[in-house]
Amino acid sequence: MNPQNLSIPILVPFLLALISFLLPARIKWLRETVAVLGAAAIVYIAVTFFGQKETFYVLPWLGHGIDFELRLYQFSQFILLAVSGFVFLITLYSTVRMAGDPRIREYYGYLFLTAAMASGAVLANNFVPLVFFWEGLLITLYALITIGGKKNSHRTAVKSFLIGGFCDFCLILGIAILWSQTGTLRMSDISVVPQGLTAVSFYLMMIGAIGKAGSMPFHTWIPDAAVDAPVAVMAYIPAALEKLLGIYLLARICLDLFKLEVNSQFSLVLMTVGALTIVLAVFMALIQKDLKKLLSYHAVSQVGYMMLGIGTAVPIGIAGGIFHMINHAMYKSGLFLAAGSVEQQTGTTELKKLGGLYRVMPLTTLGFVICAAAISGIWPLNGFVSKEMVFHGSYETGYTIFTIAAWLGAILTFASFLKAGHSVFFGPRSQEIGEVKESRSPIYIPILALAGLCVLFGVYNQLPLKLFIQPILAGHAAAGEHIDFTAHALAVFNPIALISLGCLLLALGLHVFGFRRGGNKAYMASEPIHRLPILHTLYDWAEARVFDLYEQGIKFLQALSQFLFKFVDRPIDFFYEKIVVAVGRAATNVLKAAHNGFYANYLAWSIGGLVLIVWAIGALLR
Amino acid sequence: MIFLFIIIPLLLAGLMPLLGKISKRFLPDLLANATMLFLLVFSVLSAKPLIAHGGVIQQAFWFGAPLNIRLLLDGFSLFMLFTISLVSFAVTLYSINYMEHYGAKANYYALLLVMIAGMNGLVLTSDLFNIYLFLEVAAVASYALVAFGQGHDELEASFKYLMLSAVASAAILLSIAVIFGLTGGLSFGTVASGLKMLNIKYVVGFCSGLFLMGFGLKAAIVPFHSWLPDAHPSAPAPISAMLSGVLIKVSGVYAMMRIFLNVFGLTPALTTVLTVLGIASIFVGALAALGQNDIKRMLAYSSISQIGYVILGFGIGTPLGFIGGLFHLFNHALFKSLLFLNAGAVEQSTGTRSLDKMGGLAKRMPLTAATSAVGSLSIAGVPPLNGFWSKLLIIIALVQAKMVILAVLAVLGSVITLWYYLVLQHNAFFGKLNETWKSVREAPFWMSAATVLLALLCIVTGLVFPMVIHSWLQPAADVLSGGVAVALNFIGF
Repeated sequence: MNPQNLSIPILVPFLLALISFLLPARIKWLRETVAVLGAAAIVYIAVTFFGQKETFYVLPWLGHGIDFELRLYQFSQFILLAVSGFVFLITLYSTVRMAGDPRIREYYGYLFLTAAMASGAVLANNFVPLVFFWEGLLITLYALITIGGKKNSHRTAVKSFLIGGFCDFCLILGIAILWSQTGTLRMSDISVVPQGLTAVSFYLMMIGAIGKAGSMPFHTWIPDAAVDAPVAVMAYIPAALEKLLGIYLLARICLDLFKLEVNSQFSLVLMTVGALTIVLAVFMALIQKDLKKLLSYHAVSQVGYMMLGIGTAVPIGIAGGIFHMINHAMYKSGLFLAAGSVEQQTGTTELKKLGGLYRVMPLTTLGFVICAAAISGIWPLNGFVSKEMVFHGSYETGYTIFTIAAWLGAILTFASFLKAGHSVFFGPRSQEIGEVKESRSPIYIPILALAGLCVLFGVYNQLPLKLFIQPILAGHAAAGEHIDFTAHALAVFNPIALISLGCLLLALGLHVFGFRRGGNKAYMASEPIHRLPILHTLYDWAEARVFDLYEQGIKFLQALSQFLFKFVDRPIDFFYEKIVVAVGRAATNVLKAAHNGFYANYLAWSIGGLVLIVWAIGALLR
Repeated sequence: MIFLFIIIPLLLAGLMPLLGKISKRFLPDLLANATMLFLLVFSVLSAKPLIAHGGVIQQAFWFGAPLNIRLLLDGFSLFMLFTISLVSFAVTLYSINYMEHYGAKANYYALLLVMIAGMNGLVLTSDLFNIYLFLEVAAVASYALVAFGQGHDELEASFKYLMLSAVASAAILLSIAVIFGLTGGLSFGTVASGLKMLNIKYVVGFCSGLFLMGFGLKAAIVPFHSWLPDAHPSAPAPISAMLSGVLIKVSGVYAMMRIFLNVFGLTPALTTVLTVLGIASIFVGALAALGQNDIKRMLAYSSISQIGYVILGFGIGTPLGFIGGLFHLFNHALFKSLLFLNAGAVEQSTGTRSLDKMGGLAKRMPLTAATSAVGSLSIAGVPPLNGFWSKLLIIIALVQAKMVILAVLAVLGSVITLWYYLVLQHNAFFGKLNETWKSVREAPFWMSAATVLLALLCIVTGLVFPMVIHSWLQPAADVLSGGVAVALNFIGF
């Protein structure tokens, strides 16, 4: 394909963004038509790009190895396709969900700008353009969160910006170290064994990648944004795009840029962070009382599986991690969209206030149930397949503890979705909400489309694995040799799969137990775990944001600034405000008294001055 | 051709009172502005190419017979001409509206034109006696202009100004007489060569002292500054702008520097005295300005302080010091006249000059407040405005000349400048609008036009300062760096 065409996936969304910014707010139908057709065009472009041969496009830029270079190959084709799919579905969804928003112009503008930046980040083959697009995403995210227009939207946007900024700073630092060590910024030229400084670089870049994906401890803005940002933005960015990009970069780091050995320290660190993210986030998700917040914690927890999978450095694990990335993007986006559909119709996402919606919103319910089943890893949906691959991968490394952590995560995931689905869609019809109808087609079509893909990717799992995942790994000789996806018998009947299914049964038991104990109220089903002795205290702390590094950091900085203010700034200020002013005033008063307006006085100064000057000149001439 | 700089304003000054009989406002306004615009354009388009290859001398003829009047146009004098014309143009523009309520516009313009003719003559002349002559022409016009309002204060201030100026004239004349007696000549060339042959450094030192007192009084250098805070605020605002903006520089700084640098030659003794006086002026002016409540008095004291910077720059005696001093002289002409014009606008709108009584005027007079902010920030030396660069050049020159303590003091003086200008801006324009001024109106069109023009010049000069230095300041600084040799070159004429 013509190398120049590589810039099309960046330029087209950028152009659409410009049009959206410029179109007057009043012409509603035109904007929506342009947006949907434009998004369709983006999908078309991504489809035509898919399956193309590897292509490079180089535009000399700043010199010193800093060029605007794009690279289209299996991995970027795949991510491009996924991104464009989400752009289309979210645009369709937004035509109804975001209609009438006062900042609708900006909304579409930033939506497409995000798409342009994401395409750029995926296609970039030089670290500098990569960082450029990566940072651009931070700005559009900030803007999109503020469009939520809630009381704390700006605060949350700043929070996301600062956390993202920190992670990106680490990324840039890592890149700089890598540059100094390898001497090149071309991503496809770099392949090093991490040791010494490059090991530092690996960790820094890893922070950049997993920070974007929303892993612990860089996740804390996501639950806040679930409340403060528009739900379409949640489905678009934290649920889909950031996972795609973050895990894409993580995979690039672990597969190409650095050579990751099985069970090396790097692999262990990554797996540990992954396992901790799975478990801790799912514990938080379990007790949430709000559907969107619950989903957002799951968006964090699921990242753990991807990191765990990639961190194993075992082919099946890596494949599972990447497969899980695309699966998660689909069902989590679907879940958020379903939550948005419920919110649109009932005005709330609080579990307590909802119930029995399946009668009035059957299509939303269907979509939600399929996506929830997929995320919980129920056979034969896609979540089951990718999780199995991760379980197998982690089991192969010999560190069973990670597998156990993953299983624990699976139990609690299912339990929390039983609780959520039960509270919202089943059980008795809640009295607190009035008449409810099914949402309009632009809302449920994206949900059902995503749910359908979840089924497709699960039942015919060989299709995506062969079409998408295998080519990606095939590009990486080290990790990709002979992956036989059937060898692990991704069927139900092997010990690991049976244990997984047992976990699901356990989760069901937990739910039923909690449901009974909570007086047959579904939203109380997680209370038995919530009230466990030590957990309870930890939960209270977590609710008080004790573990939120960002909030703690802010508190620390505030205390520090208070300290500096009182003990450093004030004394300095006292010096300027009191002492300097007093000296200045005193001098001024003397001068004022001297300038008393008497002519004789002034004449005397002049004569005195003359005498002094003549004397001085005489003395100096000597 | 150079004579036009003196003849045109003089001719018009003569015509003005007659024109005033025909048309009270329109013709005087038009002609005065046209004259200034012409002089401005003339200095840029015609005079500038004339000195492309160094200074020129032109001789006056009377029916074919040469007269003993020679005008010298070089980089330094052209730079001064340009500055005078620029400020005068802004001032006449401003006067269209401002002088309405004073009446007698024709007489006002006539005096102003005489003053400008005097200043132009002063910067163009090439002998000591004509310096004295044009000095008096400009000064007499300025006495009348200070007293133009004819109130009690104006007359008192004008009288005080006259009396101290008389002392200055006496000192200058005495010094010129001594030099004439020693060298037998008055033109720069003759005097310079005469002094070179005689070994009389103490007498020259004494004459330098007299000149320092005389021109120091004109330039308001501490301790000869005391008349200025009375005289400048009393005049009508455009005249204050003229006096503080250009007159003190032309009749004080220019004359002094021309004589010290091109005729006497700068000695280390003079360098020391000038820098010390400069620093003293900076601090006395700045600290006294801090205590003022009258906006125009504050500006007047500030002039003393800023002239201190100019003198300091010249006093260093290095080429960079000259550039810094010249640039600051030019910048000060821009922003000090701007600030005086703004003070006049405020006074006209509110009827008061007391900072205590103002407050929040920015809401009612946004243009005045904005241009005043530009002027204040420029004079306080905030980058990237013009005042920053000139002060920076002076400070760099000081450091290069190993006068680090003076450099530190100059920075400190700049801080005090910022201090009282913030006080001024805050008390006059920012903060809550004083209820009394609820119905105050923005200044009329031509007044605003003049201030906006000057404010824009402040900004533009700051932004393109390398160009300004290259095309206007460098030739002037070259003349100053040339020293006595410059005057000796013109002996043959």
